[in-house]
Amino acid sequence: MGRWRLISVVVAVLCLVPWPAPAQTRSRSHTVRHSVVARSRLAMSPTALSFPSADPDAVPLVPAAGGALVITVKASVAPGDPVTLTVVANDDLRSGLDAIPASALQWTASGTGFNPSGTMSTTVPQAVGSWTGSGSFSGQQSYVLVNSWSYPTGSYSATLTYTLTTP
Amino acid sequence: MNRGPVPRRGVRVLGPGLALAVAFLLAPAAPAAAQVSLSLSANTVTFPTADPDSTPVIAAPPFTLTVRARRATSWQVTVIASGNLTSGASAIPITSLSWTISPNPPFQDGTMSSTVAQLVGADTQELNPALDATVNYFLVNSWTYDVGNYSVTITYTLTAI
Repeated sequence: MGRWRLISVVVAVLCLVPWPAPAQTRSRSHTVRHSVVARSRLAMSPTALSFPSADPDAVPLVPAAGGALVITVKASVAPGDPVTLTVVANDDLRSGLDAIPASALQWTASGTGFNPSGTMSTTVPQAVGSWTGSGSFSGQQSYVLVNSWSYPTGSYSATLTYTLTTP
Repeated sequence: MNRGPVPRRGVRVLGPGLALAVAFLLAPAAPAAAQVSLSLSANTVTFPTADPDSTPVIAAPPFTLTVRARRATSWQVTVIASGNLTSGASAIPITSLSWTISPNPPFQDGTMSSTVAQLVGADTQELNPALDATVNYFLVNSWTYDVGNYSVTITYTLTAI
């Protein structure tokens, strides 16, 4: 077969082969936006503590009935911003004119960022926990009351105020 | 000495040319290229701010994706993100962004990626006239997100053959 004839056959075959159409593409873009604003939330349960009567000799530290407080702190803040939780008593535990010092309330705590222990104050808010940055943090705080023969008979109460602080 | 007939130069040139001409005439017409178009009704889609407890998943206002693929034998739409949603050094994982789309099929719901283009829809026939698809974006909300103004670029690509 001559050279020209060979070329002719090859070209003819190539021409007879159907060529696929080229793929066509189109692209479009848009922007998705979302703003995260600062917000925080404090939740705890239960909202009341009670300490049963107990013999000071047999039970020098009276645990709160009902077990530990379950505390959840949630905060959306700027990167590196501090998140703190404090507690303060409005007064000593009062029963009429009688009082049990607020410092008789002590606690231990567990959970990431929670201080492991503390003592109540009526003047200086006590740190319960501290964190850095956004997140949701849960822990347990278990109160005990230092028992004493010196306490006059009565029904004592005080209000504890928890404060969650973010920038 | 008889060497036989000497081929004439004109015949040697005419032969291949004639073959080519016949081949072109007999060649099946190449299929016409598909004509495609794609548009998004919104240049920006904005999620409202929301409390993660009351709104664990935030819905954005819907937008319309319009696609057309005339003279196509198959088509597909994919989507990919430029990265995570970012605000300075803070980021929300792009996998927190998902979508629902209708009609479904030929379109399908999915979760956004910044590494692998995700299939939004496909079919093996032409798409003509244009088809409007309603797209809803959803963002998983979380207390872990840093305060900030986040954004990301989302790119849709229609490919048709």
